[in-house]
Amino acid sequence: MSAELESSRGRSPATHEAAISATGPSAAGRAQQAAPLHERDANDLPAAGRGRRRPTQHSALALSLALLVALLAAWEAFVRLRGLSPLVLPPPGAVAAKLAEQLASGALLPHTATTLAEILLGFALGAALGVGSGALVAHSPLLRRVLTPYLIASQAMPKLALAPLFVLWLGYDLTPKVVITALIAFFPLFENTVVGLNEVAPEKLELFRMLRASAWQTFVKLRVPSALPYLFAGLRVAMVLSVVGAVVGEYVGANRGLGALIIASQGTMDTTLMFAVILLLTLLGVGLYLGVVAVERRVLRWQWEDS
Amino acid sequence: MTATSLPPIGQAAAASAPPEIAVEGVRHVFAAGGELVALDGVDLTVAPGEFVALVGESGCGKSTLLRLIAGLLAPTAGRVTLGGAPVDGPRADVALVFQRSVLLEWRTVLDNVLLPVEVRGLPRGGYTAEARALLAALGLAGFEGRRPRQLSGGMQQRVALAQALLLQPAVLLLDEPFGALDAITREQLNLELLGLWEVRRSSVVFVTHDLAEAVFLADRVVLMTRRPGRVAASFPVPLPRPRTLDLRYSAAFADLCRDVKHAMASEC
Repeated sequence: MSAELESSRGRSPATHEAAISATGPSAAGRAQQAAPLHERDANDLPAAGRGRRRPTQHSALALSLALLVALLAAWEAFVRLRGLSPLVLPPPGAVAAKLAEQLASGALLPHTATTLAEILLGFALGAALGVGSGALVAHSPLLRRVLTPYLIASQAMPKLALAPLFVLWLGYDLTPKVVITALIAFFPLFENTVVGLNEVAPEKLELFRMLRASAWQTFVKLRVPSALPYLFAGLRVAMVLSVVGAVVGEYVGANRGLGALIIASQGTMDTTLMFAVILLLTLLGVGLYLGVVAVERRVLRWQWEDS
Repeated sequence: MTATSLPPIGQAAAASAPPEIAVEGVRHVFAAGGELVALDGVDLTVAPGEFVALVGESGCGKSTLLRLIAGLLAPTAGRVTLGGAPVDGPRADVALVFQRSVLLEWRTVLDNVLLPVEVRGLPRGGYTAEARALLAALGLAGFEGRRPRQLSGGMQQRVALAQALLLQPAVLLLDEPFGALDAITREQLNLELLGLWEVRRSSVVFVTHDLAEAVFLADRVVLMTRRPGRVAASFPVPLPRPRTLDLRYSAAFADLCRDVKHAMASEC
């Protein structure tokens, strides 16, 4: 029982990784479904007193933190012992100090706001288009067959390589970054929507046929709720990729934004600032990811509920 | 765990008299991936209110036959009628219970039982009491707010049974509903099913590969041959009702099981 619990409890990060490394469209969703499916086979009564949080989770967190401290200490020691110039590798203490100083002075605020806007707008646009067109394609097997070669091609195409083109077309303001971000956020959602809407147990579809449900009822009451775990797996991946999209868009051409700031700090050889911005971007990405997870846990409460 | 606490007839559902199920000269061929003749020359009649158990080796087309009666599949040749009317699709008065749980994980137990009411656009309020009574009769009082994942396999199949019985189907089709359960849970569910059926008789086709389960439940055990499946033999079960677990240890019960087993060994 404890192994099952572990697999369902620790599902979110594992699914995220599976989805990122997936070459096929459904890996993310499958990982999501695997645990509940085999859990369902159990004949026995539901285990009484499943704990909210097991003690080993606390010790794992403590170990994680210890590892972080050890890595930072090793980094700091390496820089000091080798006498490295902060131009090459600034010590972590200096990076943290720089970030705190820049945040306190408010210098990072406009850049952060710009990048955050690009991320969120691009994410929302890409997700909406991905879910919408995914639903259309899931509905029509013909459309799916017609579009599949193009989808594979567009998947294989390095989308970030299009960034210069979008800057050329759309200028230096927010728009090209939003478009690039949307393009990157589109695919995980498109794929997971198609797979999620179609990956419904055949018996459940038969049940709905027995009940003489309309196509719309089957869609709303069966396919959409079944697809939601896949959808959220897609959202989690898209959220993280959106940060990449916005920053790379800024690399290509921008005068404001955290990506632009990294390029600027390269010009002024301020490596410490560069590290500080990268740290901020990481924290931003983690925060946004956790935001999606929080929404997912609310919407998919039934997946996490204990007895 | 008896069904006597159930109100005899629900407020809104009009229980129609169970019809005769007639399968005549049915052949069914699956075309996908090369022709596969699943059924050939199947003749079967289930009398109104009769409980028939369909047995046979796995892959002999039992489930296919059940889906033909349910109207989920159309026969390649021959015909299937319910009360004289040809089956041309799923009917409102036919319910099917599946082997694998078909409960919707995001719905509570009560909402799962009420799903047919919702899909048919019937007033939910008129059936809530009925749904709760069915759940209580199946020993699930107090579990209405749980979700399927919080239930054991046996409890999940009880919920599926309650869902199938809620609208008082005239025809009840069951596709190895207790096949994945342990022996003790299965015996208990057999008793509960019979208890509910004896209160409200429907024409039943129960697919199983467990001969003892078939003999225990049915008025008649129908044996199917290996693919292409057809009816090999039919064994009336003259055991008294209501049936009790003790019956399983009687000589008459053992004799019947042996007869079916021998016929199966020579047919399959």
